Amino acid sequence: MSWSEESLQRADDILARYPEKRSAVMPLLYVAMREDGYLTDDGMRQVAELTGVTPAQVQSTASFYNMYKREPVGKYLVSMCTSISCFLMGADDVLHAIEDEAGIPAGEADDEIGVEHAECIGACGGAPACLVNYELIEGLTPDKAKELVAWLRSAKPDVINADEMQALFGGKTSFDWGIREERGAVGPFPAFGPFGTADVNTDALEPGRST
Amino acid sequence: MVTITIDGTEVQVPAGELLIKAAEDSGTYIPRFCWHRRMNPVGMCRMCLVEVEGPRGIMLTPSCTMPVNDGMVVHTKSPTVEKAQEGVLEFLLLNHPLDCPVCDKGGECPLQDQTLSHGPGESRMVEEKRHYEKPIPISDLVLLDRERCILCARCVRFSEEISGDPLIEFMDRGNAAEVNTFPDEPFASYFSGNTVQICPVGALTASAYRFRARPWDLREVASVNPLTTTGDGVTVQASQNEVLRFLGVDNDATNHGWLDDRSRFGFEWIASPDRLATPLAKSGDGHTEVSWGEALGAAAENLSAVIEAHGPGAVAAIGGARGTNEDAYALASFMRSSVGSPNLDARLDDGLGTHLLSSLAGKGEIGDLETARTVLVWAADLKEEHPVLYLRVRRAAQELGATLITVHPTATGLADRATHTVTYRPGEGHDLLDRLRAGSGDLADVRAALDEGPVVAIVGRTGLAEDPALAEAVTAFARDLPQASVLPVVRRANTYGAIDMGVAPDLLPGRVAAGGDAGHTGWEKADTSVGLDTRGILEAAADGRVKALLLVGADPLRDVPDADLAARALDAVDVVISIDCFLTDSTAKADIVLPALGFTEKEGTVTNLEGRVMKVNRIVSGPGQARADWSIIDDLAARMGRPLGFESAEAISLAIAEHAPAYGGITWFLLDWKERDGVVAPRDGVEQPLQYIPTTSLRAVGSGGAKRGGFALHLGRLLYDDAVLTRQGASIADLAPGAYAVLNPTDADRIGANGHVEVDGHRLPLRRDASLAEGTVAVPFNQPDGPPLGGSSHVDVAPGAGA
Ligand code: SF4
Ligand code: FES
Ligand code: FES
Repeated sequence: MSWSEESLQRADDILARYPEKRSAVMPLLYVAMREDGYLTDDGMRQVAELTGVTPAQVQSTASFYNMYKREPVGKYLVSMCTSISCFLMGADDVLHAIEDEAGIPAGEADDEIGVEHAECIGACGGAPACLVNYELIEGLTPDKAKELVAWLRSAKPDVINADEMQALFGGKTSFDWGIREERGAVGPFPAFGPFGTADVNTDALEPGRST
Repeated sequence: MVTITIDGTEVQVPAGELLIKAAEDSGTYIPRFCWHRRMNPVGMCRMCLVEVEGPRGIMLTPSCTMPVNDGMVVHTKSPTVEKAQEGVLEFLLLNHPLDCPVCDKGGECPLQDQTLSHGPGESRMVEEKRHYEKPIPISDLVLLDRERCILCARCVRFSEEISGDPLIEFMDRGNAAEVNTFPDEPFASYFSGNTVQICPVGALTASAYRFRARPWDLREVASVNPLTTTGDGVTVQASQNEVLRFLGVDNDATNHGWLDDRSRFGFEWIASPDRLATPLAKSGDGHTEVSWGEALGAAAENLSAVIEAHGPGAVAAIGGARGTNEDAYALASFMRSSVGSPNLDARLDDGLGTHLLSSLAGKGEIGDLETARTVLVWAADLKEEHPVLYLRVRRAAQELGATLITVHPTATGLADRATHTVTYRPGEGHDLLDRLRAGSGDLADVRAALDEGPVVAIVGRTGLAEDPALAEAVTAFARDLPQASVLPVVRRANTYGAIDMGVAPDLLPGRVAAGGDAGHTGWEKADTSVGLDTRGILEAAADGRVKALLLVGADPLRDVPDADLAARALDAVDVVISIDCFLTDSTAKADIVLPALGFTEKEGTVTNLEGRVMKVNRIVSGPGQARADWSIIDDLAARMGRPLGFESAEAISLAIAEHAPAYGGITWFLLDWKERDGVVAPRDGVEQPLQYIPTTSLRAVGSGGAKRGGFALHLGRLLYDDAVLTRQGASIADLAPGAYAVLNPTDADRIGANGHVEVDGHRLPLRRDASLAEGTVAVPFNQPDGPPLGGSSHVDVAPGAGA
């Protein structure tokens, strides 16, 4: 076993929720990602051992879903939607702007930033839209997208918050009556409170950080 | 039964049957890729679309996932169906490389064939196809070409549903979806070859067969797997007088189409350059080639001299299980009648009582597993010794819901499907049986499960260091369970046939007990008393009572658990005559070596563990001057002045039908033309003379070995070992893992072992297994460079030096 005590404890808690061990494969994959920063072969082997399935079966599951990252994706993952609505609204130009500013082609990452294509992220009304660590920004332009990347590189925010980024870099939104979310994403992602793979509630934005 | 209408014709089909199967069984073949008769449907490829009329109109429906209903109206050849089939094929061919000229499957490929019969004939695809590295090895035996794969999931489902080792899986999805293994975790399954056979394209190919032949150049015969006792149906394919491939045949009674890899790829020994092709006579330390006349003359002279000087009982024969029943009948006739000695045995001190194996009253059949409620396996690890039976038991537990109980010194290959895994220290089996019978303590649940019939009990020796009497006691217990069906199992090829033919110290041909009335045999003069078994023969040879040994496809130095005893015996006797395909360790010591034809080189019958008699056939001619066992024996008898008068194998088969009571009426004609899946002897209406009923009191038959050290020894076999036929098959020769010792972690820690242990002074790598009973050491038998431990039931274990 190569996992930390903490991760093994987390795994035990998750396993205890299911009558069939193999049902825990998916949540345990998040533990594996949290442990190593992304999904390593060792991480998948560990999940296989914990759930009594073969590593091949774990990889089959992991590779079906694209939020299980099998390569490092940096601290900030920018997922640019290139599906039909965003495409029609100029997503390709936005993506190229992101790639240029970050110096990273889609599908790759450096230690800090990863860039990827995404299929429709459900924000067609605010197209073109992207996600940073799965937090949404709508109504992007190529220039604003460059500013976003530059901000990620310089401000190095610990907490990623959709409303904050929308205010700083976004444009037209799908709707304007959403509830303001003061908390943001921290640490490894994607992460889920119920599985203990996210740190929740502790990282509300300091007042006044966003404009 | 329900009535459905297929293409305008009404047919009667079983209610609830899948439409694709019901249609096929009533004469309408619906094309398919993913559906397979022996696996659950997935509806993945859409090739089987048909139109079904229903309340909501007429709809295209996959026939492999649609159960039939009374009154169903189905169209399998309508224009809509044909259009759908064209569409499906066009999609499947989008990325298919169409490298058919260099593909092993070309000529026997369902994708090729169905494109011919149902495809569009023309492609609209102008884009680049997807490309992968091709092919990649996914195990020692199988290669994967992902470009050819049509993602039907047959291989994936086989490994999960049938063989229980899901090491091959779908990876990624959408256009990037592919079949693959986990990095560094090859498809190391004992059953991987089956996926090559069922892959509907050339995506999975076998290294043993790649680029060896085009299917249309192959000739083939139906036959029976020569390496197991389950009687697996096979097709043997050959080209230019060389066997190139074995395919599994779906025999409903036995293998359901599956083969283990040792059986599928192990045929390479047939064409091995080491095959004996000329008779040999000892000269100095080696052998020289001689003519048949010289060899047989010398053999006859030697045997006659021994008989003259020491009496016929000084001649003994070991082996005979590697040949056909006809060969065995000739051997039994030769020994008992021509020589006049009752000392012959087809078992190599690794078996069970011959009466138990051949003549158990109310013996079961493999098919009983289909209706079993409870399955008890108290035998060797089926995965290692009876791979196809292992698959059938898995199926009973996994697909048919039977309660599975395994009793063994350690958890077995079936552990993941077993409801109860009972382990015990070798030597304590009788006590365990007593406790099980009483249902005491933690065995109460197991006992309760055994009261739920029908029960199928598979009984054998769990390891070679175990007293064979235990299996008799377990059988006696199991026979009394509700609706019980008991199958006593041993591994060595045609052991059951050889014993039935009388290659046994206590049986005459046709399941008649030796020592009684022998009128049926037709032998003019013969010794029909009870003789020595293999162990007895070797002991007698070692202390000078047996002077001449006839080895028939037997390598006692390797095969008999007590290798020391075998060595002493071979050294002590005056004459060793060997009939064999190879110069083995034992035949190398023979005075005269007579080259024998092997499987696929001769015709005859064999008998499986159920007592099912099946026909094996000839397709290649055999090396050099090699001859069939029966004909060698017949010639030898004639030269000794005691002719048997056998003219052909078929003539012997008629003699068997006449003189071996339990085989009455079982002729080649019957097996060739009517009962192609074999018939269980005795046929209906034929009486079997011996109805053996074992008792629990029997406690000291055969060997158990001497008690030498503090650890009970578990000496089990692995699928791949160092036996001659495995060693001579190039593809499988290197798959034997080599010797090691297994200890329970508690014991390992107690004696302070780490890395290596010394078992009776033999240094072996240590493995730990918490399921192994404490106080036990498990060592696989007959591994390359393995230690000779078979002489004892208990051994000493010490921490290995320099661990
Ligand atoms: S490799 Fe063959 S059997 Fe396996 S999914 Fe692909 S086509 Fe089907
Ligand atoms: S297409 Fe981009 S959010 Fe739907
Ligand atoms: S055979 Fe029915 S969908 Fe493949």
